[in-house]
Amino acid sequence: MIAGLVILSVIYGGGSSEAASAYGYSAVTLFPLLAWQTKLLLDAEPDVQRKLARLSVGARREAAAGVLAALLLGVAVCTVAMVAPVPFHGIRGPVPGSGEPSLPAGVAVGVLAHLLAVPAGVALGALASRAVTRSVRNGVTVLVAGAVLAIVLGLRGSWAPWLVPPVMAMARDLNASALPSAGTFLLLTGWAVLWCAVALAGYGWLRRTRS
Amino acid sequence: MRFEQTWFRYARRAPWTLQAVDVSVNPGDTVVILGRNGAGKSTLLQLAAGVLSPVRGVIRDRPPIVGWVPERFPADQPFTAGQYLLRMAALRGLSGAAEVDHWVERLLLTEHVDTRLSDLSKGTAQKVGLAQALLVRPGLLVLDEPWEGLDSVARKLIPDIVAEVTDSGGSVLVSDHRGEITGLPDAIRWTVTDGIVQPEPTQESDEVIVEVAVRRADADDTVVRLRADGHRVLGVRAPQSERPPR
Repeated sequence: MIAGLVILSVIYGGGSSEAASAYGYSAVTLFPLLAWQTKLLLDAEPDVQRKLARLSVGARREAAAGVLAALLLGVAVCTVAMVAPVPFHGIRGPVPGSGEPSLPAGVAVGVLAHLLAVPAGVALGALASRAVTRSVRNGVTVLVAGAVLAIVLGLRGSWAPWLVPPVMAMARDLNASALPSAGTFLLLTGWAVLWCAVALAGYGWLRRTRS
Repeated sequence: MRFEQTWFRYARRAPWTLQAVDVSVNPGDTVVILGRNGAGKSTLLQLAAGVLSPVRGVIRDRPPIVGWVPERFPADQPFTAGQYLLRMAALRGLSGAAEVDHWVERLLLTEHVDTRLSDLSKGTAQKVGLAQALLVRPGLLVLDEPWEGLDSVARKLIPDIVAEVTDSGGSVLVSDHRGEITGLPDAIRWTVTDGIVQPEPTQESDEVIVEVAVRRADADDTVVRLRADGHRVLGVRAPQSERPPR
C-alpha cells in the first residue's frame, strides 16, 4: 500500500504527463508490486489450511481460487493507480499539434497496459509463493529475479525479450510520439497472454507435484 | 484403498521418510498407526488423506470424501471458530448451518463459537479441526493424534465418532503414541519404524497379558520402553476405581 503510494507519487509527482506515456510507466512499476502482493496474498494462508482447502474442493479449484483472488486484487490496485492521479491533474490530454493521441485513446491503451501487467504480475507472484518455493529465501529470490529480469530483458536490444512479459516493450511503445499501430498492440497482447499462460501452467504443474 | 509400493521423501536429496509401503485398508476398517516420534506416522497419514503425493508408487481407490484432522490445527487465521466452520462447510458444498450446528453441539464447542481461532486453547482448536473433517461424513477419516490436548469428556467422543464412520462403510486411520487405543478395541494395528510400515498380526497365539502399575508421570516413558523391547502395549488406564464406565 505504502509502496504503491510512493510509486504513484514518483510517477505523477513532477507535474502532468500525457496519458498513454504515464500509464505505460505506471504499468511497468506496478508489475513488481502486483507480483509482491500476490505472494503476500497466497502466503497468508497457513500451509495446513491450504491442504484442508485442497481436500474440500480439490487441488485444481484450490489453486485456481488463489490465482483468481490475486487477479481481482490486482485489478483493484490498478484501478486505484489509474484513477488516483486524475484529481491531482497528473494526466493531461495531447498538446495541440504535437501528434500525441487523444485523451480517450491514451486512457484506453493505458487500461490495456495495466490489464496485461496484472496477470503477468500475478503469475510471477504465484511462482514465488511459499506453496511453490517452500522457503522465504527461494520465494524472495524468484520474486526479485523475476522483477529485475522483466526490466533488464525488456530493455531495447535485449537478447531474449520473449523470456519476460512485455511490460517494458509496452511502456516504450506508449512513450513514442505517436501511438503504435493496432498490429503492434495485437502482438504485445498475444505475447503477454502466451507468457502468462506458460507461467500459470508452470504454477499449476508445480503445485500438483510439490504438495 | 491400497498403497502400492509407495515411497515418499520431502526433498530430492532427503532420505526416504517412507519406503515401499504396501498396505491396504478395507471399508469399515479402523487402523491404528503406532510408532515413535518422527517415525513417519504423520507422513503416512497425509499420503493416505491425499494431501501429500507419493514420490514413487501409487495409492489406489481412495474414497472421494476424505476428512483429515491435522496434528496441529492451523489456528493462525482471522476467523472465529463459528465463521471458520461455516466457511469450511461452504467449501464442502453445504449451504445451511445445520451440519455446523450439529458438530458444534456434539463436540461441546457452543461457548467457543464466537472466539477467534488464535485465542482458542489447544484442545478446543483440536475440536474445531475434528468438526471440519466431519461436516460431510467422510469415506476415509484420517486422525493425526486426535487425543492430543483433549479433555477426558472429549476423548470419549472419539471412539463413538470412529464407530459411526466405520458403521456407514467408511475407513478410519488414527495415529497414536500414547496407548489411547483401548477405546478402539477392533482396530487393526500398523507399526511404523524408520520408514517401514509393518501391519501387525491382530492375534498372537502364545501371548499373555501382564498388568503393570506405574506412576502417572512415568506412563509415557514406560510405554515407549516396553514398545522398544518389542512388547505390544494394549493401553494405559487409570486405576480400577477411577475407570470410566464403558
